This record gives sequence, C-alpha cells and structure tokens, in this order.
Amino acid sequence: MNFFAVALQAGTSPDINFPLILPEMIVCGVAVLVMFLDAFMRRSQRWVTGGLSLLGLAAGAAATIWLWTRGAGSLGTFNGMIVLDEIRLSFTLVVIFVSALTVLLSVVWVEGEHLPAGEFHSLLLFATSGMMLMASGGDLVIIFLGLEILSIATYVMCGFRRTDLRSNESSLKYFILGSFSSAFLLYGIALVYGATATVRGSGVVAGTTNIAQIGERVMAGDIMYPALLFAGAAFMLVGFGFKIATAPFHVWTPDVYEGAPTPVTAFMAAGPKAAGFASFLRVFIFGFPFVGAVASASSATNVHDAWLHALAILAIITMSVGNVAAIVQNNVKRMLAYSSIAHAGYALVGFVAAGAATDATQRADALAAVAFYMLTYAVMNLGAFAVVTLIARQNDRRTEVEDYNGIGFRAPALSFTLSIFLLSLLGMPLTAGFIGKVAVFASALNVGSSAPAASSLYTILVVIGVLNTAISAYYYLRLIIVMFFRERTTEWAVPRIPASMALVLVITILGVFYLGLFPGRVLDAFKRKPASGAVTQIAR
Amino acid sequence: MQEFRLEAYLPILLMFIVALGFAAGNILLSQLVGQRKQTRTKLMPYECGKDPVGSARERFSVKFYLIAMIFILFDIEVIFLVPWAVVFKQLAAQGAMMRNLVYVEMMIFVALLLVGYIYVVKKGAFDWGERARREAEAEARALKDMQKGREPSTNARAA
Repeated sequence: MNFFAVALQAGTSPDINFPLILPEMIVCGVAVLVMFLDAFMRRSQRWVTGGLSLLGLAAGAAATIWLWTRGAGSLGTFNGMIVLDEIRLSFTLVVIFVSALTVLLSVVWVEGEHLPAGEFHSLLLFATSGMMLMASGGDLVIIFLGLEILSIATYVMCGFRRTDLRSNESSLKYFILGSFSSAFLLYGIALVYGATATVRGSGVVAGTTNIAQIGERVMAGDIMYPALLFAGAAFMLVGFGFKIATAPFHVWTPDVYEGAPTPVTAFMAAGPKAAGFASFLRVFIFGFPFVGAVASASSATNVHDAWLHALAILAIITMSVGNVAAIVQNNVKRMLAYSSIAHAGYALVGFVAAGAATDATQRADALAAVAFYMLTYAVMNLGAFAVVTLIARQNDRRTEVEDYNGIGFRAPALSFTLSIFLLSLLGMPLTAGFIGKVAVFASALNVGSSAPAASSLYTILVVIGVLNTAISAYYYLRLIIVMFFRERTTEWAVPRIPASMALVLVITILGVFYLGLFPGRVLDAFKRKPASGAVTQIAR
Repeated sequence: MQEFRLEAYLPILLMFIVALGFAAGNILLSQLVGQRKQTRTKLMPYECGKDPVGSARERFSVKFYLIAMIFILFDIEVIFLVPWAVVFKQLAAQGAMMRNLVYVEMMIFVALLLVGYIYVVKKGAFDWGERARREAEAEARALKDMQKGREPSTNARAA
C-alpha cells in the first residue's frame, strides 16, 4: 500500500524506477512551472503559458513514445503501482493529444473572455497529469488519485467564467455529482480490498488493491468474501460509469457540458472520457478476468459474467438514450453532450468485446479498438467544438441551433469543416468515425463468432449499435441542413478565425481523413507491446 | 494479534494531562499576573471579532474563506510530514541510497508546498490593503459590464 510501509515490511529498498513515470513527471512539472510563471507575470501572457504548456505536452508525448520503444530500463514498478503496457501508452498519447489541442483551442478564447490564461493552462496540465495517472495506475489507489487530480481541476475549469450563472451551475452540479460518484468508486475499492483477503498457510493475508494481484486471487478462486467482491465491483462500475457518462449515470452530462465554457466542454468530452475508459478497462479486464479454465461455479467466472452482462446492457441503454435524447435538443452543446453519451455507448461495445475475448490476441485487438475509438472521437469532437467556440462568440451566447441558420455559404470554411466533423461523428465512410465504429463492432463480432455460448449477445449489441447510428443521422444531418438550407433572418457577422484556431481545424480535419483512410498504422501501433515486456500486467 | 495492554496507552494519558495543564496554566497565569483594563468593547461576549448582537446575515469579505481554505490545505499537507519523520530513521538505516531518496522526496514535497505558498502570496490572497481592494472592485465592475452583454469590442476578439 503505502510506499514507506511496504519498504518497512520488506526490509529492502523500494521498487523505484523513475523513468517509468517520466511522462507524468514532465507534465506535472511543467504545470507547476506554468503556475509559477503566472504568479510572477503581471498581465497573464497567454502565448508564454500556452506555448510552455504545448512544449511540456510535447515532451510528455516524446517520453511516452520513448517508454514504448526503448523501455524503462530496470524493471521496478513502484511495487506494482505503475504499469507499462500498451493500454497505458496508447491512452496516454490520446489524452496528451486532447490537451494539446485544448491549449490551442483556448489560447485566444481565454483572453477574449478576460480570464487568467496562466491559471487555465496550469489547471489543464494538472488535469492531464491526473488522466495520465489514471491510465498508468496498476493499483486502485493510484487510479483513484489520478481521478481526483483530474476531477478537481475540471470542476474549477467548468466554473471558469465566474460571472456567468450557467458556468457556475455547471461547476456546482459537476462538483456535487462528481464527488458523489467518487465516493461510490472509493467505497467499491474498499469493498474489493476487504473481499480479496485470503488464507495463506496458517494465517490470513490482508486484501489487496493491486489490480494484477486482485486478478490472480480471483482467478485462483481463493478470495475470502466473494459476495463482497460483487458489491465492490458494482460500486466501481457506478463510479466509472459516471465518469465516462454511461446511460443511467449520465444525467449530469447535458447540464454540465452546456454550461461549461465551450473549450472546456471539448476537453471534458474527449479527455476525461478516454482516461475513464483506460482505468475502467484496466480494473475490470485485468482485475476480474475471464477464465475459461476455472470451473464454472468459481467466483471468478461469476463475477466476470456479472460485469460483462451488466456492461452489455449498459452499452445498449447508453447508445439508445444518448441518440434518442439528442434528437430533441435545440442547443448545439447539449446535442453534442448527448452525442458524447452515445459515443461512450459505442466504445462500451468494444469494452464488452475485450472482456469476453477468449485469447490474448483477440483481447489486444479489442483494447486497441477502444483506444482507437477514443482517438477518433477526440479528433472529431474537438474539431466540432472548435467551430462551436468560434460561432458562439464571447460568453457562449450563440449556441442554439437557430444561431446556425443559413450560415452555410456566408462562412463556408467554418460550415464545411463543421459538416465534415458531424459526418464523421455520424460514421460516414472515409472519415475517422467510420473506422472507429468498424473497429469496435468488428471486435465484438469476432468475439461473438469464437465464443462458445451467448454469441447472439454480441450480434445483438452490434445490431443495436448500427441501428443507433441510423437514429443519430437525424440530428447530425439536421444541423448541416440548418446551416445550408435555412434562411437567416437576423444579422450575423462572420467570425474571424484566429491562427491558433485555424491550426486546430487543420489538425483535426487532417486527423479525420488520415484516421479514416489509413487507420492501419495507428491501430497497429496501439497493439504494440512496450519494449521491456517484463513489467506488463498478467501473463495469461 | 497483540494483547491489549492498558499501560501502552500511558503516553496518551500524559499527553492529555499536559494539554490540560497547558490550557489551565495559561488562563491561571494571565488571571494572576495580567493587568486588567476594562472597556466596553472588552466586556462584550467574544464572537470572533464580530458584533455579537445584530443580524447574522451580515456580509463579510470573501477573503475569510480564502484564508480558511489555505490554512486547511497547508495544515493537511504538513500532517504528511509526521509519518515521514516517524519512519525516517528506520528507512535511513537501510543504506545511503535509500536515505538520500527518502530525504530528497520529502524536500521535493516541501518545495512544492513553498511554490504553492509563493503563488498564493503573489496572487494577493494575503493582501488586505486598500489598493488590493480597489483593484478587485475595478475587476468586478469590468466583469459585470461584460456580463450585461455588451458586444465584444474588436480588440478583445483580435488574435
């Protein structure tokens, strides 16, 4: 548990390996530096803090790639607290990408709203380091720590427009409901810790919060309180489900996303969702693994089946609720919030596939598909929100669907790029969204075809996913129709596109087409094992 | 399981006695040797510097919250030093590398605390002067104007 306590018990030097957490240390250090700079510069210098944040994120990404290709040298893992595997590295790259784009997205906006740029950028970097810890934590405690670092920074960012009531409401709602869900997660962790106590020889060994150890004990079937394990897993499911906005726990999403400043909404929809998926995947797939070999009566198979079926049902509800509710929205940010719920549902299909996979290759494929889905969603979502930020103007005033009436040919650059992002969110072929959906649905079908029992479940999941895509066409296309085929009655000035925004739009457009046309390289890269394989999760 | 022994809790009892003695001793001492000048204000019931009779819904500076929050933050962070100090000797006995590591880790922690403190000071959280107040009021006015929905001025939108 505690680093000192472990060192004392073992009587040896602790398992320290600083290169292993190099990306986290870089991002965290730069966050502190940005905060410090902000304190010493009189007027907030958005280019200094923004540029420094970008440099820090680039260094973090470089360190991540270095970890992936060269390895972390010695094999210390902080007593299993930090893992080095392809899930961690791919999700880390996704969240760094999201943060870098958010910095570009916010650098002009933050000044236009008369907000302190340095504070915003350092909060963003702290949130990023939290997300990276969520992806790299091999222990429930580290995951919880990362989640809190992320959450506290995002609560503040939601309420960043201090004088706007909607922003305050968003922040307060997110804070209260978020703390509530953190409590669920923490309670789940405590129950799992209690449940995994086990008998070794003549004495009782205390429980564990290490995910690999939980997995081993569950597989061996020698945990003391199987019933508690179920309760703990259920609580954790609620906690993570809240963070990634799955259906019964999604009610906060529209209000929070609508009220938060638009760049923050873009960040929240892409970054924390990816980080939440990273730790959700790690805890459930490696902590409560699938074991065909163990007799069917064992607790391991039971808990695995239980969460797998629960998640399959959650995926169905999430997709349907998100898409159906998005149809009736008149506010673009609210609509995109429901769309983000629906996308969490699609990604859950890949999650279920990863959980049900019967061999390691299938599982690696499904995990890479989920990571890839998060990347594609981040690209198109950030692009769409960049356009929404530009059209909304100061104080987020123009975010209703009516505000998009007839802007199509007056601001062709903006409306064509927004249309591409919407089509990608819908899942049109040639765009990233299509390949993302194909990847997660294909992994579910693969698992379904090789699974001995309940293969119809996976087919049903995929069919419902495809039907939902058809439903979603209504509201994505509606916005495009509004932009190009409606008359505008009120006066409207074409917004200027600042250089940093233009850069965001170019990167995201290129990303949408690159991932849509040549997805193979990224998908293969996400499947690649890190160079020093000895510190990976469980040997199956 | 260790056996329960009441003697083991003797230090806690001692701690109680010392704490009680400290409090009682101070009050007694000031009663005995302190000088007394009674004024109207001094004879009022003590209520944290506020007027004890009157509306409870009085407005007071948001800085009080800030100070309270900063106090709690530093307080909790400093508590982390205690377990470190308790195990430091045991850990240091394991070798020079371990000793240095544990020492440097804590120094980093303290340095981070210091950075936070400097940030708070530079941001003017402890500045109660007239000028800070006037600046804050000016900022509040500017924000209020903005909220009223003025069209954004051109220089605010410029890249």
